[in-house]
Amino acid sequence: MRNVLTIAGKELRSYFTSPVGWVVMGFFALLFGYFFFAHLDFFVRRSMQSAMGGGPVNVNQDMIRGVFSNATIIILFLMPMITMRTYAEEKRSGTIELLLTSPVTDIEIVLGKFFGAVGFFVALMGVTMLDMSLVFIFGNPEVMPVLTAYLGLLLMGGAFISLGLFVSSTTKNQVVAGAATFVVLLLLWVISWVGSSFGPNTAAVLSYLSITEHFDDFSKGVIDTKHALYYLSVTAFGLFLTVKSVDTERWRG
Amino acid sequence: MIEVQHLTKRYGPFTAVDDVSFRVQKGEILGFLGPNGAGKTTTMRVLTGYMPATDGTATVAGFDVFANPVEAKRRIGYLPETPPLYPDMTVREYLTFVAKLKLPKTVSKSERTERIDSAMRKTHVDDMANRHCSRLSKGYKQRVGLAQALLHDPEVLILDEPTAGLDPKQIIETRDLIRGLAGNHTIVLSTHILPEVSQTCNRVVIINKGRVVAVDTPDNLTRQLKGSATLYVQVDASGADAAAALATVPGVRGVSPFDRDDQDGHLGFEITAETDRDVRRDVARVIVDKGWGLLELRPLRMSLEDIFLQLTTDESAKAEETPDAPEASAAVDATNGEVPNA
Repeated sequence: MRNVLTIAGKELRSYFTSPVGWVVMGFFALLFGYFFFAHLDFFVRRSMQSAMGGGPVNVNQDMIRGVFSNATIIILFLMPMITMRTYAEEKRSGTIELLLTSPVTDIEIVLGKFFGAVGFFVALMGVTMLDMSLVFIFGNPEVMPVLTAYLGLLLMGGAFISLGLFVSSTTKNQVVAGAATFVVLLLLWVISWVGSSFGPNTAAVLSYLSITEHFDDFSKGVIDTKHALYYLSVTAFGLFLTVKSVDTERWRG
Repeated sequence: MIEVQHLTKRYGPFTAVDDVSFRVQKGEILGFLGPNGAGKTTTMRVLTGYMPATDGTATVAGFDVFANPVEAKRRIGYLPETPPLYPDMTVREYLTFVAKLKLPKTVSKSERTERIDSAMRKTHVDDMANRHCSRLSKGYKQRVGLAQALLHDPEVLILDEPTAGLDPKQIIETRDLIRGLAGNHTIVLSTHILPEVSQTCNRVVIINKGRVVAVDTPDNLTRQLKGSATLYVQVDASGADAAAALATVPGVRGVSPFDRDDQDGHLGFEITAETDRDVRRDVARVIVDKGWGLLELRPLRMSLEDIFLQLTTDESAKAEETPDAPEASAAVDATNGEVPNA
């Protein structure tokens, strides 16, 4: 466990000692801020219409939920940049030899890298809390749906990171790792679109596999174990693949 | 301390290491010598648990590196061919990270700092403690890599070309350091620099195309391959048939022309004598009796480099290599000259 923390700490640190972390964080803050402002603007106009006799509005339903749903898309785009270097960089520079010949197990290394990236992801979420706090300062939203949405983002982020980690472990090239991760995540995102052409059973399976289908309930303030389990099992599967990939890499040399 | 038996490593159809076996005693320095692609690095990577072997076993400090990798790795310090440094860490940060991974969890923070300081002092990198690894020169990178390998005071040190990229002064310091570490540590090192083997190693494993060609002490290798003693003699015979005269000396088995200087009429011969018989006095007497000038008379010793070439090249290639032998040994001598006391 100490080894996992040591490696996670090193990984987390490396995000902030290289430009990558700051660039990703800056762009994330920019995009999130833009979406936040767009939704806020839209919500303010809706509220004025509501005051002049429109239907009732709810800040959780009509604004925050939209912001989180857009945040998932920003994360989809930026996540490959967070995970692409994890293994690819160490393989290219040869530092992987240090890790693989240290008295630690492959699982400890994989978990260390995973939690390092999760740590950075949590820092990204921390940035969004600056925007979110404005809603709480000037408005009066419910806290629970915001917290569950963050939980949902964290679970989804974990699933993305584990898949990105796996892709990064298969190549020495960061750009290839980033591009391939993006493709994998995007496919998982849209996999349900073609479901209906394959009949109802396939449609149900594909819809279950789709990453987006599982997020909506979290942003509504509902914690459904079915969805949590989905994200956790994708995460576990991604980590399993990474461990296996590191192991086969050893055999192939 | 290290025992390797029938180690084989294949990458698909390519066999990188083929049935390699050797042992290293405690406190010994074993040199791994071979051309590029001979399987040195692969063997070292198997020993350090970086990759598993296709076949065979390797035991380090009593632990099988396949069955018990974590325990074996605890007892190994490894310097790979490229020092595994993180460019965005300072030397101290880097060594702290390595220390956290490698030192037993019972080691206190102050003791850890002490170990890091001592490793930095031993490898002379303490003046760069706060410099980023990316900004270090090649020599410093190599030595920080060495510090990393020494950090947890391992029983076994595996060093892949530890002096590559260092300047002559640093090479001497590193060799002295390595020699100083022997005794407490068991060391396996690979190198391309041949004098290094004779200067630092107790035993040599010569490896070629994945197979062990020879295992012995540097001295024994030199002696063993030197079936008979050879001399180099240069005479000013002013056109006379010196070769025939030299061949009559008792104990001389053969005389072959070696080089000639047409301008001065100086002739050089390689004289093969019977083993364990010193023919130098008789050769000198014959030349002086004839009234020729004896310009040079010295034993032709086979350098490790010649042995290396002889063992790792094919029979046909060997014939071509032989005339080059004195040049090769001259090159070795020149290298020796550059690094006095080494």
